[in-house]
Amino acid sequence: MRRYWRIFQEFFRTCFVEELEYRSEFLGNLLSSFFGVGIAVLTVQIFFYQTNQLGGWAYADVLILLGIFNTLQGAIDFALRPNMSRLLEHVRKGTLDYILTKPVDSMFYVSFRHLVFWRLIDILLGVGLIIYGLVQKHYIPSLADILMFSVSLFSSLVLIYSLWMMLMTTSFWVIRIDDLSFIFYSFFETTRFPIGMYRGWLRILLTYVLPAAFITNTPAVALLGKWNGVTTLLSIGIAGLFLWLSRRFWRYALRSYTSASS
Amino acid sequence: MIHVQHLSKSFRVHVRQAGWFDAVRSLFKREYRIVEAVKDISFSIQPGEIVGFLGPNGAGKTTTMKMLAGLLHPTSGEITVGGFVPFEQKAEFKKMMSLVMGQKSQLIWDIPPMETFLVNKAIYEIDDRVFRQTLDELVELLELQPLLTKPTRSLSLGQRMRCELAAALLHRPAILFLDEPTIGLDVHTQEKVRRFIAQYNREHQTTILLTSHYMGDVTALCDRVLIINYGTLMYDGDLKVLTETLTPYKLLEIHFPSVPDVSWDDYGELVAVEEGKVTLRVPREQVPEVSSQFLRNFQVYDLNIQDPPMEEVIKRAFQEGAHVS
Repeated sequence: MRRYWRIFQEFFRTCFVEELEYRSEFLGNLLSSFFGVGIAVLTVQIFFYQTNQLGGWAYADVLILLGIFNTLQGAIDFALRPNMSRLLEHVRKGTLDYILTKPVDSMFYVSFRHLVFWRLIDILLGVGLIIYGLVQKHYIPSLADILMFSVSLFSSLVLIYSLWMMLMTTSFWVIRIDDLSFIFYSFFETTRFPIGMYRGWLRILLTYVLPAAFITNTPAVALLGKWNGVTTLLSIGIAGLFLWLSRRFWRYALRSYTSASS
Repeated sequence: MIHVQHLSKSFRVHVRQAGWFDAVRSLFKREYRIVEAVKDISFSIQPGEIVGFLGPNGAGKTTTMKMLAGLLHPTSGEITVGGFVPFEQKAEFKKMMSLVMGQKSQLIWDIPPMETFLVNKAIYEIDDRVFRQTLDELVELLELQPLLTKPTRSLSLGQRMRCELAAALLHRPAILFLDEPTIGLDVHTQEKVRRFIAQYNREHQTTILLTSHYMGDVTALCDRVLIINYGTLMYDGDLKVLTETLTPYKLLEIHFPSVPDVSWDDYGELVAVEEGKVTLRVPREQVPEVSSQFLRNFQVYDLNIQDPPMEEVIKRAFQEGAHVS
């Protein structure tokens, strides 16, 4: 674990150097992040001109939800997204061979090798929005709330990582699609709003098949003190299950890669 | 160090046909063909040896090398490399070997090579002191000092190759797989890379398996060669012996003040007649006799006896298609 943390730091350092090589402008990234959050908050406000409830959630609650969404999105854009196109390239060009000869877990390597640290701004903005939501609601979470929130947020991260990884793994077969991430995003966008907003089969799909409900809803509810132990445990269980699945899928893909390519 | 027994590898390849109709049809019904890339190969390599692996494109060189490096799963047969079964991909195995592919780069494109070295340092868990020491040595041998701080993308192909070698050797592997390490390099740089490989092997007793299209690489570095064609091993042994068996003649180059008018066929097979120079192909055992005849009977400026070029030897090996060993 310690070793992987060191390797991760090294990845972060090289990406930092890489980024500075191009001097990508800090200001531009900052502005686009602020703009993104601004639009999202505005959309929510427009909804609440018409109603004072969204899927059973009040304005401040939805802000917290949005904050969590933004934090998670920042995490995806920080660590996962930059690696998707790289993996496609590695598979196509055959440089994946170098990764496979390295004494490091290949799934770890392909998912964290490239980091775009500007996107950490989104994580900060997300946290800011969560705090703003709490202030609006005049609610101070207890220590237990924060603990439950942290646990379920961690589960969300694992869950997102696993879903993302499974999608990324398909690049062994669909090497023609340059950016598979839009498939993920069209699903991930659904977690921007309370799950109660969705009706019928869509709601069932998002709760039980693709566990969208666990991604933003559970942590938000936990932070507002309405957590229950069973749901939190369930979120850990589901995250674990999906991580296991994604790992198996990765290994399966590697096996077929190594027995097919020449 | 490396033991290979009855190694085979076959692939299932999707047969593609050109044209609209077949492209659509292949969406629904795919035809496959089994390609036997490697057929029943056995050999072993001792620690510290440099072995050349020769064969035309598509002969199965890279496939075999990938199986040795643990990247491909053999269809049948056994491999052990340094006591490990490569495809189990144990971390200990990966730490004792290294792979350099001339056509593929592991260096990070936009930043200086030094950054890649540092990433490898973390991945291979190389101790600071050992890292410094190894790096210093490689920097000196490969003359990397001025390159370390330039972005990789601005380096020439030859400079990049030298950095690739350094990146692959930082963890001091006991076994090195080199797949076309000199491809695309100019003669001068090829020479440099060769000298480095030879010296590194001498100093560290690294076991090296090398594939190359350039005969120069092989003649300069390897005493022993493996020749593979159509997936089968055709020759395993001394490079000199191979030359003698396959090309049982030498080239005699005779320089005259003026070329005499004689029947050359009495002496050997005529290869070329140029201004003041005649090249003959003469069976090995007759070379001393024929040359002394020339020296006795004609006015001769100079007389050279040469081995046929390596390219020709290999070409013969493939043409004959027979097992030479």
